Amino acid sequence: MRKLKKLATIALTAVMAASLLTGCGGSSSSGSDDSTGSGSSSSSSSESSSTLKFGCLNYSESLDPANMINAAWANSRYGIGECLFKFNDDMTVEETLCDSYEVSDDHITWTLHIREGVKFSNGNDVTPSAVQACWEVLYANEEGSSTPTKYMDYESMEADDEAMTLTITLKEAQADLTMNLAYPVFVVLDVSVDDLDLDDNPIGTGPYAITSYSPNESVSLAANEYYWNGEVPYDNVEITFIDDSSTKAMALQSGDVNLVENVTTASDLEALESDDNYTVSIAQGVRCGFAYINQDGILADDTLRHAIMKALDDETMCEITVGGMYTEGYSVLPSGLDYGYDELTDVDAYDTDAAIALLDDAGYVDTDGDGIREINGENISLNYITYDSRCLTDFAAAIQTTLSDIGIGVTVNTLDADSEWNQMVAGEYDLCSSNWTTVGNGDPTEYLANWYSKSDANYCNYANDEFDAAYEVLLTGFDEDERTEAIKTMQQILIDDAAVVVHGYYNSSMIADSTVTGANIHTADYYWLTTEIAPAE
Amino acid sequence: MQGFVTFIKKNKQFTVFAILAILVILVAVLAPVIAPQDPYASELKNALQAPSSEHWFGTDKLGRDIFSRVIYGARTSLTSALLLVVIIFVLGTLLGILAGYFGGWVDMVIMRISDMMVSFPGMVLAIAVAGILGASTKNAVIAIAAVSWTKYARLARSLVLKIRHKDYVYAAVVTGSKTGYILYKYMLPNVMTTLIVTAATDIGSMMLELAGLSFLGFGAQAPTAEWGLMLNEGRAYMQYAPWMMLYPGLAILIVVVVFNLLGDSLRDVLDVRDE
Amino acid sequence: MNAKQLGKRLLQIVVVLIGISFFTFILTYLAPGDPVRIMYSASGTIPSEEVLDATREEMGLNDPVLVQYGRWLSGCLHGDFGTSYSNHKPVVQLLLARLWPTIKLALTSLVIMLAISVPFGMLAAVYKNSPIDYLVRGFTFLGVSMPNFWVGLLLLYYVALQWGLLPVVSTGSGFKKVILPAITLAFAMAAKYTRQVRTAVLEELNQDYVTGARARGIKESVILWKHVFPNALLPLITMLGLSLGSLLGGTAVVEVIFTYQGLGNLAVSAITSYDYPLIQGYVLWIALIYMVINLLVDLSYNLIDPRMREKR
Repeated sequence: MRKLKKLATIALTAVMAASLLTGCGGSSSSGSDDSTGSGSSSSSSSESSSTLKFGCLNYSESLDPANMINAAWANSRYGIGECLFKFNDDMTVEETLCDSYEVSDDHITWTLHIREGVKFSNGNDVTPSAVQACWEVLYANEEGSSTPTKYMDYESMEADDEAMTLTITLKEAQADLTMNLAYPVFVVLDVSVDDLDLDDNPIGTGPYAITSYSPNESVSLAANEYYWNGEVPYDNVEITFIDDSSTKAMALQSGDVNLVENVTTASDLEALESDDNYTVSIAQGVRCGFAYINQDGILADDTLRHAIMKALDDETMCEITVGGMYTEGYSVLPSGLDYGYDELTDVDAYDTDAAIALLDDAGYVDTDGDGIREINGENISLNYITYDSRCLTDFAAAIQTTLSDIGIGVTVNTLDADSEWNQMVAGEYDLCSSNWTTVGNGDPTEYLANWYSKSDANYCNYANDEFDAAYEVLLTGFDEDERTEAIKTMQQILIDDAAVVVHGYYNSSMIADSTVTGANIHTADYYWLTTEIAPAE
Repeated sequence: MQGFVTFIKKNKQFTVFAILAILVILVAVLAPVIAPQDPYASELKNALQAPSSEHWFGTDKLGRDIFSRVIYGARTSLTSALLLVVIIFVLGTLLGILAGYFGGWVDMVIMRISDMMVSFPGMVLAIAVAGILGASTKNAVIAIAAVSWTKYARLARSLVLKIRHKDYVYAAVVTGSKTGYILYKYMLPNVMTTLIVTAATDIGSMMLELAGLSFLGFGAQAPTAEWGLMLNEGRAYMQYAPWMMLYPGLAILIVVVVFNLLGDSLRDVLDVRDE
Repeated sequence: MNAKQLGKRLLQIVVVLIGISFFTFILTYLAPGDPVRIMYSASGTIPSEEVLDATREEMGLNDPVLVQYGRWLSGCLHGDFGTSYSNHKPVVQLLLARLWPTIKLALTSLVIMLAISVPFGMLAAVYKNSPIDYLVRGFTFLGVSMPNFWVGLLLLYYVALQWGLLPVVSTGSGFKKVILPAITLAFAMAAKYTRQVRTAVLEELNQDYVTGARARGIKESVILWKHVFPNALLPLITMLGLSLGSLLGGTAVVEVIFTYQGLGNLAVSAITSYDYPLIQGYVLWIALIYMVINLLVDLSYNLIDPRMREKR
């Protein structure tokens, strides 16, 4: 009897617990009202001294631009540092710290006039020699993923503080140096301070200055009282690093933060878009999501690569798996840019049967019955490395399952962004997730170097003479039509060679709650905390 | 047969839980029969469908049937948890008996190693081992086994020590019984009941630890149908596809409850005092 | 515990620590991947084979493994646990920065756990076999059977998101941010402890002195609070110490869910980025802390319970 009772209570408790769960589930529809309530309450407290709470993914454990490129971007994104130039939304260049420049006819000597009266956030003047000193530190410590030389290979730099000019003599002519100088690696920081600590405390000219920085955790910023370009809208900014996209969305909904960048869980983004309490800004993609194919490995096999391309259903992956976060496409350059996407032919359009036929015909069949095809008696097993950003892991998972359906084994390794990059550099992969800004410095030259066989950035061991020839036109030619034509050729070659798994073109987003106005995402992904972002009235 | 009926009558509670546990095991064994769909067949177009008559537990982000994955998950989780318990049971008991029986330096070495392992809070070493050896279900099992056998060794050792110096043991030694025989005939039976009860109650917690490792990404790897891993995948869709998180969690909960209760009632049946 | 015993314990700790350090060192030594490569690639460069070889020589990686181990160990003894591969900071500095948050988390969850388990355990014992008892015991069964990461996710979803009571993101300081992770950790522990408290109180209630006191007409509440309660809770202290130790090393899952920046989170990211010096340092530290806490528990036990002193 006693034991029966015990049983009964256990059952009862289980039922109660279950009903508690479902009861909570039922109330979830009304839950969103509560969360906005707490969101608005946080705004009332922010009136006296305005604080913006920003949640974003952390891409770098350091803020030193020489250390890694993500660190340079971080300076620009957090509004700490600025370059001499910046990109507008149409990717043209606008003067910022440099207010005018002259260039010699041979495009070798560039004379940059530094804007007068600009100060670093510690009150020091921004002089041509300060800029020069900063860049010298940058070049001296150039290592890893930070490659200023790639953007500006200079013979000499000469600062004239009287005339406020910095004269740069290049080793080779460049069509437009200003585009490259707008690239965040050339962020201008004060290197004259005694306890220079670029890792944790870079001092720049942006609207905000660091008050404290804990890597991987948070950054506290205060308005730069010396800011040269108008009023700084917030007294303080608290940046919290949130790696997980849906946590980011939840943090916004719960009022933990007022602003987040790039919510990449489709369902979360949809919900935020349909909610009047949030403004969602989406920039149509200049970013391309793709996977490098390492041609120094099993994927050197042409048939295998083409079969893979045919097997992948880009449309469904872009529309459903990542819920429209990407616009589908088959070229490495986004369909929205003016590089002749419509004139390209997709030789490997989605066709599972064709993919299977291709493999069967090549004799790549499964003989040992484990469901995986073999080449020369060895199972086809691809090492797919990825990192959790911008839906890349979702693509990897979808590709893994799609390929396993046609008998190609894939192991997905999800690493952190740094490790993934490093493993890619070391060449230890077959497929490697990436998401690149295609026209990072105004045109796709740098980006396309990924497949130029003589480039340091060619981490996938791809080599094609025609591609190289076309690429060299880009390097030397100044004629606009000729360049566009070359770019088009290169795109088609990559498609024909099945040289890269293109997922699609990423739509960046910036989402703010009702306490914030002006939160727009820019085409160039280097500007997050701008002075446009201000407290709502 | 008569005895069997009496046993059931006397141990109703145990019988009920044993039947439940057998049911769980049957689900795992018969997964291919029970699961309506292939747990690995994805239909990208049908992603994140809410539970319906076609997909009882809904579908995940790759359009796989969650019900089928939960059913298959029982295989992964049960086999690895049971295997793990068997490993630590055998290893721990053996080392414990040896330490207790022989004493001296054998005892010292075994017990210091066990001290060492005990000083690692389980999960830490497990994570380190799994992380360094590479993430896989096998390595997760090895990792947790490495830190969990000590409990059995200590128990077995203390139980052996209790009878080590009894007259009948000395008698056996004097009459020339082989050491192996003594260990097998006297020592092993003496420790068996307690250790079996411990093992039974451990199944649940081992399952939780394995699921925890998988959740962190140090255990089963995608696309394996494993509950911890499924929970991890469901985490990102917590708000709008809560079924991805709810059902694998409930599955773990139910199975662990069943095995915990089984362990408890086994204790009552075998009448072992709570140590 | 007298001085001799204490000395023996300390010696034992040293032996065990050496064992652990050797074990971890060997483990990382055997781990796949070339440390020099990992180190270089962590800073994003691909050095040539000559550079790799030179660095190996320079770092002494070509020495026999025991020599390497000895060098590392003597570094540790001097407080130098090496430099992290991934961000080139001293391991000690990284660990120190995360130590306090994890201790804070562990202590908070212990407090929460006690606040739940003591009253419920007592209730269940006093009203043995009543509906209250069954309810409490049912709860303990659920408690030990729920995966803590699942509990964490549910709490995150309801408490933080739907009801907006506490922050979603536990990064950064502020007491509020500790609460949810602490509750999650306390959950399973509370179930275990409630059972312990119940058993302990029941045992005390069956003691002769209770019967005697009752016979003398002493009020039940006085018996309960003045006699039974202190006696029953004494054994819990040992358990508490052990729990604190294992909590310090067992917070990883919860820290990851709540993006709480503690030791566990650091360890997980160290492992995903193959940061061997950091992993080694972490394991050694946790083991040390764990053993020191155990020692302290034993010592305090001696102080609190005179009977123990007599026994020894």
